[in-house]
Amino acid sequence: MTKADQQAPRLEDERMDSRREFLMHLLTGTASATVLMVFGPGAAAHGPESSGFMKMAKAEHHYAYVIDVSKCIGCGNCVRACKRENSVPADYFRTWVERYVIRQDGVYVDSPNGAMEGFEKANARYRKNFHSAKTVPKMCNHCHIAPCVQVCPVGATFKSPEGFVLVDHGYCLGCGYCVQACPYAARFINPVKNKSDKCTWCYHRVKKGKLPACVTVCPQKARLFGDLSDQEAEVTRIFDEDKWLVLKPEMHTDPTCFYVGLPREVV
Amino acid sequence: MKDPSPRAHLVRLGLIMAAGVVVFLVLKSVLVPASWVDEGGDWYRGESLNEMMEQPLIYGGNESCQVCHSDVIEEMDEFKHKTLSCESCHGALIDHVQDEQKIADAFVDDESTWQCLNCHDERITKPEGFPQWNKQKAVEHMQMEEGMLCITCHTPHDPTP
Amino acid sequence: MELYGLPGGALENYIFPNNVHVEWSLMIVIYPYITGLIAGAFVVSSMYHVFGVKEFKPIANFSLIVAFCFALFAGVPLLVHLGQPQRAYQIYTTPHLTSAMSIFGYVYTSYLILLMIEIWVIYRKHFIEMANTDKGPLKWVWPILTLGITKYNPQSAPHDKKFAKFLAGIGIPWACLLHGYVGFLFGSVKAVAWWATPLQPFIFLSSAIVSGMAMLFVMYIVIMWAKGRDYDENLVKKFMISLWMAFILDYSLELLELAFVSYEHGLHWAQIKPLLLGPLYNSYVLGQMGLLSISPLLILGTVSLLDIRGKALIYLSSLGSLMLVFQVLMMRFNVVVGGQLISKSERGFVDYQWEFLTREGLFPAMLIMAAPFVAYYIISRFIPIFEGKSMDTEPRKTS
Repeated sequence: MTKADQQAPRLEDERMDSRREFLMHLLTGTASATVLMVFGPGAAAHGPESSGFMKMAKAEHHYAYVIDVSKCIGCGNCVRACKRENSVPADYFRTWVERYVIRQDGVYVDSPNGAMEGFEKANARYRKNFHSAKTVPKMCNHCHIAPCVQVCPVGATFKSPEGFVLVDHGYCLGCGYCVQACPYAARFINPVKNKSDKCTWCYHRVKKGKLPACVTVCPQKARLFGDLSDQEAEVTRIFDEDKWLVLKPEMHTDPTCFYVGLPREVV
Repeated sequence: MKDPSPRAHLVRLGLIMAAGVVVFLVLKSVLVPASWVDEGGDWYRGESLNEMMEQPLIYGGNESCQVCHSDVIEEMDEFKHKTLSCESCHGALIDHVQDEQKIADAFVDDESTWQCLNCHDERITKPEGFPQWNKQKAVEHMQMEEGMLCITCHTPHDPTP
Repeated sequence: MELYGLPGGALENYIFPNNVHVEWSLMIVIYPYITGLIAGAFVVSSMYHVFGVKEFKPIANFSLIVAFCFALFAGVPLLVHLGQPQRAYQIYTTPHLTSAMSIFGYVYTSYLILLMIEIWVIYRKHFIEMANTDKGPLKWVWPILTLGITKYNPQSAPHDKKFAKFLAGIGIPWACLLHGYVGFLFGSVKAVAWWATPLQPFIFLSSAIVSGMAMLFVMYIVIMWAKGRDYDENLVKKFMISLWMAFILDYSLELLELAFVSYEHGLHWAQIKPLLLGPLYNSYVLGQMGLLSISPLLILGTVSLLDIRGKALIYLSSLGSLMLVFQVLMMRFNVVVGGQLISKSERGFVDYQWEFLTREGLFPAMLIMAAPFVAYYIISRFIPIFEGKSMDTEPRKTS
């Protein structure tokens, strides 16, 4: 994307409107963030009907990511591929897989080394009398109302017109405010680069016509990546049924990463 | 010596402050990146999108394998393992081909079972119907012996039970 | 961990893989501590300059200089913390105004300049004197500080006084902004349950005033003791009453926050209760809210309400103030680090590892905390900080 097509001519009053709107957002956003938290999950729309989605309507593509939990086998291929593709340092993860063993007396969760080596058999203590057990891949949710973008003091993290939430490594200060603001712990300070790091949906691959590395290697098609503007795309079709969920909806971040078959115990 | 004006020092302070503000504004205009995007709430360095494209591709996807190995890929359509990524078992494309030149043999592991068990070892978290291997069952129902590999009986590309 | 249970029905402590490391560590603990000391010391100075509290006249300039010394180093912990400190200028060139952090550069710099100008106005006469008499190695500095006006016109005194009052006046809201906004920066992070409360700016601000006053008092006592000068009992008495009231306000706000979150019993409490009863039990419940709060409340209350004079007054006041200096430092730690101990998995707590010699370890933090005191010592060699026959500048005293 060049500077020229981002600075397409716009009407002056439209600019003013967006600025006023932006100031209103700033005002209401800061005031309501804490209040909304207190009152828990609200009725805000997520998915293709959300206001955040509508805002991007001008772009050619509206990328979205879908994770079908019921298909995941916890092999860890995605974690390994992501580590390699993006040179993610040891002990930090752009994507990881969690194991949930749901029992009467509580929930057992683990993610040994982010599932880099898949999962050993679950502890025998928890394997008995469980209700259900699932492996759940996690990653950046590429939120429409991304807290990390809001709090970046210098504009080093931003939402690209097509929906990628990205970190500008040529500009990031490494202050870590975005790491604090992300409710999903998808961000970390890269100990090698000393800059904020997270999943980019493999921006460099997608813009060259490839799929993200994790989607490429998933043997179960538990991970889908596609364009919501395409009505026939697999990612769009999941909205035909009311079976999708997002993580931490009470955070009002309006994620673009949708889950199918997500157990309610998953945080 | 004549007394200086009672406000002279404040005037000088004001001038220094004004000069400071001018210097600051000049520096600011120089230091803001040329490709800065300030539009509709967006606030970022436009050039960063181009910089991100410089990141090399490590995995090529099965479509890259097709270029040289179309025979195998075509057969794969019929196989049980057709949804798998070649690179999950054979290693990333960049270790095998660079600049359209083969640089090393692709990885083939025919001495261990971990790549099979990585997916097929029995786990309570796996979906029902997904083929899972249970050592006890296998020993009881088949003539399995110690030291046998999965690929002794199963072909890895099309492992019918 | 078993003793107090885990949140979210967790059977075992589970933290997200990226939560293992506490990202904001000691540097971010001492940063709000230092800005708080600035704000608190400045408020004391303004009590005399703006509100004419006569008892504080002897320490009006002292508190201003102390505020300045801390202000010089407020940005240092942030620079040390940054992964890319050479890019810090970007906070001035492209501040992203949706971020609470973005105005830091402007607020901090303007406040530092305000402090410098106020000190300059107050000490201008001294600079002129030195410019005309000093023959030492620093003789070239004084004419620069006079801005080239090396003759003092007595008619400028009312102008200077008015200007100083004006600066002290706008300095109060500015100091409150500088520090209240640090509270906002934490309070507005919805993802961290222990931070997210609209009371946070007020808690930070009131604790800032407490810490600034307490630190000022401890410094005053140490300096007077070192110089063998008499303590001003009226000042001490008035100071302790003000500090006591400030701390009552601060402690009430901290208790209010706790009471509200626990009574509300909502989303946050599920995380906060096991945090306070578990990892933060010693430093928060026993330390910050217990010993280091209740004892100063009682000590300062005794000093304020009873007719205590002489050595007892000085000892009790010093003890109470010293405890408050550490109460607020501990509060900063409990907020900054405590908030990050709750993993965003909502099913476990992070284990905080103390570091010593690393970049964000205890040793660099102590160095930075010591720097303002060194700066104060150096400045006090060159300008008279306490009124009267000051011994600060005796070797150079000329008038």
